[in-house]
Amino acid sequence: MKHLWQVAHYEYQRNVFKKSFILLLISVPVFITFSIGLGVFLESLEDNPLPVGYVDHAGVFASPLTTPEISSTWVAKNDESVAFIAYSSEDEAAAELNDGVIQVYYVLPADYSETRRVEQIYIEKPGENAERQFYDFMQINLLSSQPHEIAFRTAAGTDVTVRSLDGRRVIPSGGPTFGLLMPLFITMAFLFMILMSSGYTLSAVADEKENRTMEVLVTSISSTHLIAGKILGIVAIGLTLLFAWTLVIIIGILFARQLGVGWFTDLSMDWRAILATLAIAIPAYALTIALMTAIGAMVTTTQEGQSVSSIFFILHLAPLYISWSFINDPHSPLAVALSLCPFTALMTIGMRNLFTIVPTWQILVSMVVQIICALGAFWLAGRSLRLGMLRYGQRLTWRGLFGTPN
Amino acid sequence: MHPVDVSQIAKSFGSTQAVAEVSFEVRRGEIFGLLGPNGAGKTTTIRIMLDIFKPDHGRVFILGGSMTDEKKARIGYMPEERGLYQDVTLERCLLYLASLKDVPDNEARQRLAEYLERFDLAEHKNKKVKELSKGMQQKAQIITTLLHQPELVVIDEPFTSLDPLNVQLVKDLMRDLRQQGVTIIMSTHQMHQVEELCDRILLIDAGRDVLYGNLAEIRHCFSGHAVLVRALQELPSIPGVEQVVAHNGAVKLTLAEDTTPQEILCQLTAQEVILEKFEIAIPSLDEIFIRVVEEGRETA
Repeated sequence: MKHLWQVAHYEYQRNVFKKSFILLLISVPVFITFSIGLGVFLESLEDNPLPVGYVDHAGVFASPLTTPEISSTWVAKNDESVAFIAYSSEDEAAAELNDGVIQVYYVLPADYSETRRVEQIYIEKPGENAERQFYDFMQINLLSSQPHEIAFRTAAGTDVTVRSLDGRRVIPSGGPTFGLLMPLFITMAFLFMILMSSGYTLSAVADEKENRTMEVLVTSISSTHLIAGKILGIVAIGLTLLFAWTLVIIIGILFARQLGVGWFTDLSMDWRAILATLAIAIPAYALTIALMTAIGAMVTTTQEGQSVSSIFFILHLAPLYISWSFINDPHSPLAVALSLCPFTALMTIGMRNLFTIVPTWQILVSMVVQIICALGAFWLAGRSLRLGMLRYGQRLTWRGLFGTPN
Repeated sequence: MHPVDVSQIAKSFGSTQAVAEVSFEVRRGEIFGLLGPNGAGKTTTIRIMLDIFKPDHGRVFILGGSMTDEKKARIGYMPEERGLYQDVTLERCLLYLASLKDVPDNEARQRLAEYLERFDLAEHKNKKVKELSKGMQQKAQIITTLLHQPELVVIDEPFTSLDPLNVQLVKDLMRDLRQQGVTIIMSTHQMHQVEELCDRILLIDAGRDVLYGNLAEIRHCFSGHAVLVRALQELPSIPGVEQVVAHNGAVKLTLAEDTTPQEILCQLTAQEVILEKFEIAIPSLDEIFIRVVEEGRETA
């Protein structure tokens, strides 16, 4: 066991101090920070906190009304609230606009009830918050004769709930919640781990052949410890990335909640879908690692291995190209078949989870199929390593792999 | 029991018979030469011995029994295909390989410092392996093989890429190890190094052992019935000499079966021939090697 840890430790250290790994590690936090920062910056450009003026010749705002409910919808939309100032004449409003007291003023002409036309006067384009809030303000006041709830409901606008065709998934009006998308995030995280770990596994084995170190290693430790140690080291590298990024994402979510971003207020999770995704993702990861070990032992160079491994990665991503069919019918024979196949199962089930509840039997069958394939791949990895490790500069053929016993 | 005892091993790869039948034993504290032409089966024999390949039949006892993980730490192996991690520093690479042989870190560092000093590599320890010359990498490979103080060393072509100074350094090191009781198996094509270093040899050809035993005895067996003579004047006709052949600035006299070298010497002095050299003709290992291999192929 000591040798296993030594190999794992060496493999881990050898990779995590490489410039490429450090760049990869900081890329996601930098990307997230940049995206949030850019979003906040752009939003700040769109909003303007200055008051909004109005000249009401139509008498709509005879007794101007705002409600706490409508103000709260502005807060939920992360709008900066603006004050409304009434002016008796357009000259007065124009003077204030020129002095920079207000950002815009609206003129409701005397014949507003017939024409429904409102004039908007500004020097620089007003903030989007100002336009949205004046629109709500007008709606509430136009309906001031109606019961309070009706006025508010009208001003709050439409509330659309999207249901999947089989009725088993409900997506609220604001779009899928963070919790609803979590299984898809997990799927993407595992796909990324698979992509990254595939490269590391492949080079970990192929490099030993390229460096001609295999013969020295197998006369020092058992080949089981060698391979298990390498895989352990690579899994640790993947977990380092995952842990670091998860930490950054959690900090990002907490920060976004502090800023009052509505999407992060509801963090309730669909635990069934999350567990189903993990049940598929873990064996899929193991299967890929074992296959990459086998390929690494069979090929002559890391580069050659990468071209072979890309085929498996394309298979992983293939369901993305037919995702429309999962929306139309998440229980179609194609969707079920892809859910049961190794390589395509992870992405398919990850996406189907968005639109339906994937039946338990499909999750279980898919998991069992992948575990069996992973065990077969580990056997293949051991055999190809034993047969291919000393074939320097020579590719191990399939015939050689299954033909001659060693 | 001897450190290595190989009995009638055979190994085929598909239709190719790499080793047909090879048996030998290696005694404690000796330098044993494993010789043979290219493709004779030397490397396969070594790999079977070290449990990298399983033999089709035959058995191998190493350090008192079958190979185990524990025994791997008592063996130092320098394969024909040299291998070090190219992208790490020399020190890091050698310490890692030593750790796999169960050498405690402090001890490994101490021994490594000594070896690096001895091999004139101390100032290069922080360089990446790929930045070192071929000769330096060869020396680093030798250090890897010996750093864990093995009791059995298997070393394939140890003098490749080394200049004469470093060849001498490695030879001295091997002699030191032999004195310390370390058993060394050396596979090489350089016969003069074998003659200098080895106590016993095994010659393999076409997967079979064709010559095996004590080096001095083997050379004596192949010495035939001849003397080497160098004189200041031309040699007269001498009774009892069947053949006269020029040989490396001297003359090789092949004697009749009932003639002894002593009788030839008496006849030459009686005829007042002034001798510069008179010795029993013992063939070099190169000559024995060529003769055995050629005879074997003619027989086949």
